[in-house]
Amino acid sequence: MLMPVPDQSVIDKRDSICAKLKTLVPADCVVHSPESMRAFDADALSAYRQLPLAVVLPETVEQIAELMKWCKAAGIKVVPRGAGTSLSGGALPLADAVLLGLGKFNRILEVDYDNRCVVAQPGVTNLAITHAVQAAGFYYAPDPSSQIACSVGGNVAENSGGVHCLKYGLTTNNLLGIEMVTMDGEILRLGGKHLDAGDYDLMGVMTGSEGLLGVVSEVTLRILQKPATQRALLVGFDDTGSAGKAVGDVIAAGIIPAGMEMMDGLAINAAEDFANAGYPRSAAALIIVELDGPEVEVNVLIERVEAIMLAAGASSVKISNSEEERNLFWAGRKSAFPAVGRISPDYLCMDGTIPRRRLPDMMVRMSSLSQKYGLRVANVFHAGDGNLHPLILFDANQPGELKRAEDFGADILRSCVEMGGVLTGEHGVGVEKRDLMDIQFTEEDLKQQQRLKCAFDSDHLLNPGKVFPQLHRCAELGRLHVHKGKMPYPDIPRF
Amino acid sequence: MTLVTVSNLDEVREVVNDAMADRRQVEILASGSKRALGRRCSYDLTMDLSAMTGIIDYQPEELVITLRAGTPMLEVGAALAQARQMLAFEVPDYSHLFDTSGSGTIGGVVATNLSGPRRLTVGAARDYLLGFEAISGRGEAFKSGGRVMKNVTGYDLSKLMTGSFGTLAVMDEITLKTLPSPETSCSLIVEAVDFAAAVSKISGLFATPHEPSSAAILPASLAKEAGLQESSGNDSCVIVVRLEGIPISIGNRLDNLQRLAGGYSLEAPASEALWAKIRDVKLFATPVHDVWKISCAPTDAPSLVKKIEHNHEINYFADWAGGLIWMTSDSNNLGHDLRAALATLSGGFALLVRDSGTTRHTIPPFQPLADPLLALHKRVKAAFDPLAILNAGRMHEGI
Ligand SMILES: Cc1cc2nc3c(=O)[nH]c(=O)nc-3n(C[C@H](O)[C@H](O)[C@H](O)COP(=O)(O)OP(=O)(O)OC[C@H]3O[C@@H](n4cnc5c(N)ncnc54)[C@H](O)[C@@H]3O)c2cc1C
Repeated sequence: MLMPVPDQSVIDKRDSICAKLKTLVPADCVVHSPESMRAFDADALSAYRQLPLAVVLPETVEQIAELMKWCKAAGIKVVPRGAGTSLSGGALPLADAVLLGLGKFNRILEVDYDNRCVVAQPGVTNLAITHAVQAAGFYYAPDPSSQIACSVGGNVAENSGGVHCLKYGLTTNNLLGIEMVTMDGEILRLGGKHLDAGDYDLMGVMTGSEGLLGVVSEVTLRILQKPATQRALLVGFDDTGSAGKAVGDVIAAGIIPAGMEMMDGLAINAAEDFANAGYPRSAAALIIVELDGPEVEVNVLIERVEAIMLAAGASSVKISNSEEERNLFWAGRKSAFPAVGRISPDYLCMDGTIPRRRLPDMMVRMSSLSQKYGLRVANVFHAGDGNLHPLILFDANQPGELKRAEDFGADILRSCVEMGGVLTGEHGVGVEKRDLMDIQFTEEDLKQQQRLKCAFDSDHLLNPGKVFPQLHRCAELGRLHVHKGKMPYPDIPRF
Repeated sequence: MTLVTVSNLDEVREVVNDAMADRRQVEILASGSKRALGRRCSYDLTMDLSAMTGIIDYQPEELVITLRAGTPMLEVGAALAQARQMLAFEVPDYSHLFDTSGSGTIGGVVATNLSGPRRLTVGAARDYLLGFEAISGRGEAFKSGGRVMKNVTGYDLSKLMTGSFGTLAVMDEITLKTLPSPETSCSLIVEAVDFAAAVSKISGLFATPHEPSSAAILPASLAKEAGLQESSGNDSCVIVVRLEGIPISIGNRLDNLQRLAGGYSLEAPASEALWAKIRDVKLFATPVHDVWKISCAPTDAPSLVKKIEHNHEINYFADWAGGLIWMTSDSNNLGHDLRAALATLSGGFALLVRDSGTTRHTIPPFQPLADPLLALHKRVKAAFDPLAILNAGRMHEGI
């Protein structure tokens, strides 16, 4: 992966830059010794590592604003970082950029039960929101598997989802307001405790913008009452095609489960070895369906789903009759990643989405690619919404295997787009999928996205080298070509 | 003014290219049902999208529908109903407010981001747009999003396009997420001493696992006009709480909520009719005056209304648990006072929806933006439509 060539003149000025940074934030908020910066040299895409120019850990939004203003004036790049759990390298430092860590923004500012929302600083972890409100029966719905560690600011930047987003939506659907700081050092408030202001939905575009448009300095999140009952079904199938079809049948019957997950044979066995969850080892595919709501409703829907599964050819069906049993059903799925980690020295986690009906085709495609590359693949899907997580197993110590695994992954993502899907369902583009963007988008699509970037950050100083395979200067992107030669119209530089 | 009918994006591009060359400003129009919304501007040319109709692809079990921008909502509704699905955000029909007929097109619905009572619990139009293709004000074709439910590839331009009133690009091939329609529904009707008590009662009902899908507050007089039972005591407000789902679930939840709050219930047909009136703002008999839409934190709503009632003779009701207030009055300066009052609360906005005369000449229909947010809006506009060709000035001056 090629990153933008670092600006040596900035690196040469490192000492004076660090001295200046210490005047913008308290001196102990600047970390610059190589040893102490090690902790920040990568996110969860740990194959890529880089020490930043310096790490700054501001304590107030005013400090962020001052920092941004100065960096803009001095032409110094900034990479925002939450908890560093990104799987796509979004928070990967750059040698000539300040790494702006939000770790000290770790306070919940307000719990407002009457308006059903929580106002929090961006460094608060996802799970801490639920912990703060659960005594009153509330919770925060988006639940990425990384929820004990990842920050809500990072969730906004990545528009993160979880196993329950089929019914409850992604971060973007549960976000009411943000405060943000632009690269110009301006502090903006978008949204709030009210719904749908009549402006451009800039909060909507900030969500999922991977730290390229601004720094999120506060969030207002919608909280929900916990459902009265949750029950799950564990369903085995002898072939993945029938399993894929069964998932569609449930939705076609008008049922939106809280979650609907699928695993293939390799993943089932790895998970069972790890968690002893009682998974059917001989099944080719396993589906976990969770239903939630009032008890009478869940009991009826459980029966309906069971009937649909059996009609679709399920070879085994188990229904949870206690919380303990429901948690056990999930235990295998939730430990699928570490479980696969035990059967292979390394793995790459992919994240494409396809139209759900293409699942059987995708399974066939994946097994032929697996043969082609000589690497195994274990599959975990958010089946309800067509989001795939193929885990490609490899050994980084074998020369060439990482490259082969990456090529395999790229082919899977290419197939996703070819089947009418997209490159990433929830993990983001970052550096990992940056160079694949032109599979899904035309040059004009990408240029239009970058024009939006220019409206927020005219010098490409915020998190450059991520998301876009090619950086065009804003002046160049703003140029207009007036057609038909009707008027000798001058090219107009816009930004 | 010239009218040009276009039937696909290539033709749209041609019109935009010509307009760029001639420096002409273009109004984007489909059925015209919401033409009265926003600032009144004059354009050199009207581009009519109402011929761009039809459902391109609809896969109910994928929960995804792709349609042409000019497809009439009647046609969309019929196709979805056949598969027992819906656009969950509940598309409102404001023809009553605008003295127009017809419920508009899907493109207009997306461009204005209008949502109904269920917005409170399931989100707005902006939460259901998955992707689109478009021609920008630069005369260039681009797309964003996709035809799948879960997608974070690139910026989420769908959010930006929703509610941009056609000021950034002309959309076609709109892909939306659909959801199964609830099997049935009912309402619980509860009285409250006043608006503040109503909001707080609703907060109490939402602090239970009984899943109301919407909650409105009607002053007793409006409730009576809407055909609800007359209040026995001195309660001045009526709360309407909607429950949706499978019958056994609704019965159970209704019992539970009734145990907490008392009141009586409305069965599906009456309940649906009432919610349609709330959605389409038909509770105001024949609106002869201006109608304002105010969005604020639910708990701010009572003090806002109190402040306004001090100086103005108003008629109002609330949806979204109090967070959406519809207000009508023939009083001058209502808009100024609304916005001034909102500024003292925790935020929100007041939008002039129906202008019965020339109010728009004295106050901007969209709440003005302060710098630096206004400057950012202008830069975003310029990123898509640098010569301000498309619906220019519809939302704000220059935007
Ligand atoms: C084991 C594991 C399981 C995971 N499971 C899921 C899952 O189920 N679903 C899912 O969606 N993701 C999942 N992830 C991915 C990851 O946890 C999410 O993307 C998460 O939201 C990242 O949050 P973070 O605080 O760690 O952000 P970081 O990794 O620090 O940063 C991520 C991106 O956001 C930017 N950023 C961070 N904070 C801010 C801010 N305040 N303002 C502006 N930009 C900011 C960064 O520049 C970077 O581009 C998983 C990761 C791991 C390691």
